[in-house]
Amino acid sequence: MCSIYIPTQQLSFYIRNPMNQIHTFTLENGLRVIIQEDFSTPLVVVNTLYQVGSRDEMPTQTGFAHLFEHFMFEGSVNIPEFDAPLEFSGGESNAFTTSDYTNYYNILPAQNIATALWLESDRMLSLAFEQESLNVQKRVVCEEFKEHYINQPYGDVWHKLSALAYKTHPYRWPTIGIDLSHVENATMEAVKAFFEKYYHPNNAVLAICGGIKKQEAEVAVRHWFSAIPSGKRVERAWPTEAPQAEARVLEVRADVPSNAIYKAYKMGKRTDSEYIALDLLRDAIAACDTAYLYLDLVKEKRWMSSITCYLTESLDEGLFVIEGKLMDGIAIQDVDEAIQLGIAKAVANLTENDLQKLKNKVETFWRFSETNLTNRAHNLAFFEMLSTASDYFDEFEKYNAQSLSTIKETAFRVFQNGKSNTLYYLKPITQ
Amino acid sequence: MNRTIAPAVNIADHITIPRTEELVLSNGIKVYAIPSNQGVIKIDFVFDAGKWFEQKNLVADFANKLMREGTKQKSSLAINEILDFYGCNLEEQAYFSNAGFQLYSLSRNIHQVLPLMKEMLTEAAFPESEFELLRSNRKEKHLQRLAKNDYLANRLFLSNMWGKTHPYGRVTELENFDEMRVTDVHDFFYQHYHAGNCFIILAGEYTDATIKQIDELFGAADWKKQPSTPILHQRSMGQTLIIHQEKENAVQTSLMVGNATITKTHPDFDELTIVNTLLGGYFGSRLMANIREEKGFTYGIYSSLSAYQHGAIFEVSADVGKEHKDATFHEIKKEMQRLQTELVDDEELQTVKNYMSGRILRSVDGALRYADVLKGLLLFNRTPESINNYMHAIQSIDANRIQELAQQHLQFDSMYKVSVG
Repeated sequence: MCSIYIPTQQLSFYIRNPMNQIHTFTLENGLRVIIQEDFSTPLVVVNTLYQVGSRDEMPTQTGFAHLFEHFMFEGSVNIPEFDAPLEFSGGESNAFTTSDYTNYYNILPAQNIATALWLESDRMLSLAFEQESLNVQKRVVCEEFKEHYINQPYGDVWHKLSALAYKTHPYRWPTIGIDLSHVENATMEAVKAFFEKYYHPNNAVLAICGGIKKQEAEVAVRHWFSAIPSGKRVERAWPTEAPQAEARVLEVRADVPSNAIYKAYKMGKRTDSEYIALDLLRDAIAACDTAYLYLDLVKEKRWMSSITCYLTESLDEGLFVIEGKLMDGIAIQDVDEAIQLGIAKAVANLTENDLQKLKNKVETFWRFSETNLTNRAHNLAFFEMLSTASDYFDEFEKYNAQSLSTIKETAFRVFQNGKSNTLYYLKPITQ
Repeated sequence: MNRTIAPAVNIADHITIPRTEELVLSNGIKVYAIPSNQGVIKIDFVFDAGKWFEQKNLVADFANKLMREGTKQKSSLAINEILDFYGCNLEEQAYFSNAGFQLYSLSRNIHQVLPLMKEMLTEAAFPESEFELLRSNRKEKHLQRLAKNDYLANRLFLSNMWGKTHPYGRVTELENFDEMRVTDVHDFFYQHYHAGNCFIILAGEYTDATIKQIDELFGAADWKKQPSTPILHQRSMGQTLIIHQEKENAVQTSLMVGNATITKTHPDFDELTIVNTLLGGYFGSRLMANIREEKGFTYGIYSSLSAYQHGAIFEVSADVGKEHKDATFHEIKKEMQRLQTELVDDEELQTVKNYMSGRILRSVDGALRYADVLKGLLLFNRTPESINNYMHAIQSIDANRIQELAQQHLQFDSMYKVSVG
């Protein structure tokens, strides 16, 4: 229950399926609703996305959006517990927090959809705001922090890397927060203010997918959500990150089993077209067994035991990250140089045939994720947050339309050493 | 509208199992085909080639991983280029008993890669250089894992429960990497990966041509051998039940409690899964409610019941704040005892029943997901209809039976307790 979203190599979007149609409407209170009928399943997913993430936090109160996500399961104004009634209906629930948004989903037998709508609408209306629940969730989140970010080799990489890559934008801290004290110091007053500011229908998207008729789903949604008052429009303002002028390198030492390198290149927003080009390029650079850096550094030179790359997929300026672990006795500067050189070669060598391969890989991933109801509901909500839910049907076409020259131009623009943020994560010096 | 009243809930007591076609290839391989129409296909090749059959540690795993790293005609790169070009994913897994491959593809491309799959299965070449590469990368990965407390706890837990010579307790040691030769891997592969040891599950969109091609390639007589002979392994239990490994700088302790328990063939097994769920098998479980939601000692605590061909393991595991280690062990014991001494109330029992019914519904939703369930059923000689028997067992259990099962199978004092950190 409740997890931090860590950027992975996974893509998240879907291909057009003529069988799939969506029904969308907006309630008077501003809640945007998307319904997709799918009678191939006896289940339904109710996915609620709130547009608030760790970028909305104050620098003195980091980790708050995620702590709040935990608190959302601690009972609402009319219902003492969130999970138990959902489990009683045969369902299950979870949530995750990113830098930009917080996503809650329930999967349950379709005939019991009212249970999920009842629970979700009540916690959108208001929470129980019990001090003891907050105290417990602060402890739980501190244990989560310890489990994943302190008591783990390389656990604080995102703390280091985000602070290196961003100097003024709130992306400079990770979703879990800068340190334990920020979580420990969270007050009920701040929790209430956060709810007031961000958790209202006009800052949310509700997506429903599964074995339910759209008219019935609409009636049920209107029944449970219409009376929730809308909130004040969210105004966002934070210092824009100044363009990075030169390469940044940070060296840290810790008790880790092998040396590791992390290189993060500044790139555009999720909605910029360069995102698509770079996402395709992942498999040419380091994300699969035929990628250039994997062949060069893991298979040929045998300098590294692993290498991969991924995009942060963020609403503001994001990162293209390459990371890997070094074999013993290899100089990290040599690896760093080889990565820079390798990216340039991977891009220069890219042929039309390679591009077709990249597109085919994306298409397979896309098609398989489409078979997952939970993914589909999340993505409809995600695309609605970006602009319009139906955009996700056209998303694969954007990949398919990429030309070799666009991809190469994008790569030359993004993979400049002056835009790189490199972390050398080294093991202790031995005598 | 009265928001304090929960909407009515309806739980189906019978579920519709996806339709499966059963076919037998010319050489006797059984194929189970689960049709759907989403333009994708997943083919699962399952062999009796798990850790149970290996003479040296790691050999089963290496044989499984190295199949794709070169055939008599093709290099590793050539193989991966073909798979990548057609957008296919090939995943390998070696478990305790079985091992195999899952091939994921767009339906329109599957015919392009099936011949390559057959070539790998029958002509894998195990080049020395690829073996060395995997060996050094795996060694690194092993060293990285040894830095994790939960990994260390699991090693201590399994090796004490089964003994270091038993496949379930034989944990990886650094020297195992050097004791292994490429010929061990090669020989293991050809001894265990063949038509006499295999079944296939196909899920997704396929045509008659797909089935015909599968029969031509995998139904051929050229790769049939005698089935693997079962090996007898003796379990040798450690006598020490409480093991603690101190880590000075740790802020958390990884802990495990459990024992070897009844296997899937035992008449109580299915019902014991309900007791397990109640104790620690879902978010609303007693362990979660107590140790996470009430005390905040941990981000998560779960119990599980894992059935294998020759044994089963019950375990509780959690990472807890270092200062809460003893209190957590104490609470785990208390929760097991509560199940033995107090009857579970109707509401909690009904919640677990409904939750588990919903979980079964989710597990068989769609051809791709059901394929995994079917594989589990086949490995234990169960029929698809046993899913509904299981549903029935869940819905009909009562509080007295839960208590009786807890008394018989949850003996905290005789369980292993391991902590690292």
